[in-house]
Amino acid sequence: MSKRPLFVLVLEDDTIYSGGDFTNTKWNEIPLNKKIKRIFYSLTNKDCLCLDGYDKYFHMIEATTDLSGKESGKVRIEFAYILGRKEDKITAYKINVKNGNILRTEYDKEDSFICGLNVNGWK
Amino acid sequence: MATLLTVRANLVDATKPYSGVGAVPADYMSLVLGNDYLVWSEDLEDKMTHEPTPEELNAHGVIISDVANKLVPECLVVDYDGGWNTFFTNLLIGMGIDKRYVLCFSFDGETANEPQLEAWDDSDHDSYAKHVLGAGVPANSMVKAKCTTGGLPGANWAVAGTGTSIAGSGATRIVKLNDGNGALPALETGETSQELYANIGIVIPVSYATPSVESFVLTVRYTWN
Repeated sequence: MSKRPLFVLVLEDDTIYSGGDFTNTKWNEIPLNKKIKRIFYSLTNKDCLCLDGYDKYFHMIEATTDLSGKESGKVRIEFAYILGRKEDKITAYKINVKNGNILRTEYDKEDSFICGLNVNGWK
Repeated sequence: MATLLTVRANLVDATKPYSGVGAVPADYMSLVLGNDYLVWSEDLEDKMTHEPTPEELNAHGVIISDVANKLVPECLVVDYDGGWNTFFTNLLIGMGIDKRYVLCFSFDGETANEPQLEAWDDSDHDSYAKHVLGAGVPANSMVKAKCTTGGLPGANWAVAGTGTSIAGSGATRIVKLNDGNGALPALETGETSQELYANIGIVIPVSYATPSVESFVLTVRYTWN
């Protein structure tokens, strides 16, 4: 059985782009010459989160590595983030990949969390 | 692809970076996390030819001062296979004092936001109740950290209280590892990694009333797109 891609994008010309997995998301390989129209983001419970109508989108995976203890050295993926930006407002969905909980937060473009993001990640 | 982290310890000269101008990468030991580990001690012997036993660790436990706050004098890397010059214990040079290139965090690519250093009771990352982490009050954590990516930490920084008491993930109780300058950019042509640095000290309050043997977990939180 094939594994679901992490996300599926509908691009402006209605072509489809499929992401990879947590360790190789393929986000940075999205064609730069095509605007994203819609995102279907895979959730751990098999549902999808759909983002639509934003000017720009951002995606990132958050991991931790302990320097000691029983999990020392492991790359532990904790959260996935999918953000949509419309004018000066950003909506962020923080997805706990362990329990599936989703936290939705609204940010202003000047918020320190937003300003600290890698600008290359906006598509 | 996911950006990978390698943690390195400077065991020779804490004035030399791992990369860039004046770099001496040979001074750094890449930690095999899961096997290698850090020991904080009063005076455990450097360059032991065997892994320290519990009895040896206890015999060299830190002595709480009744005169002043006490900076734990030593931090040693225990090399599980004695692979670093055949020694099992190696002093981490400059830990807790005014040295810049001590603990090195190498990333093999760009990050999506700024990597940060945290401290927790254990690998569950959901509590900071141990005495060393402030017994539930993160501001009282004995674990002090300072980002040294951009410069020296300053004279007497740990005892003087200019470092951050780290415990948990509250915004004021973590240390951003890129001096607050945000995400790491893509690697330049020819680069294989980019480095961030931190210095860490443990400061035990004067006459601290609860002697104990405690472990805690240092954690690096980082991201990729």
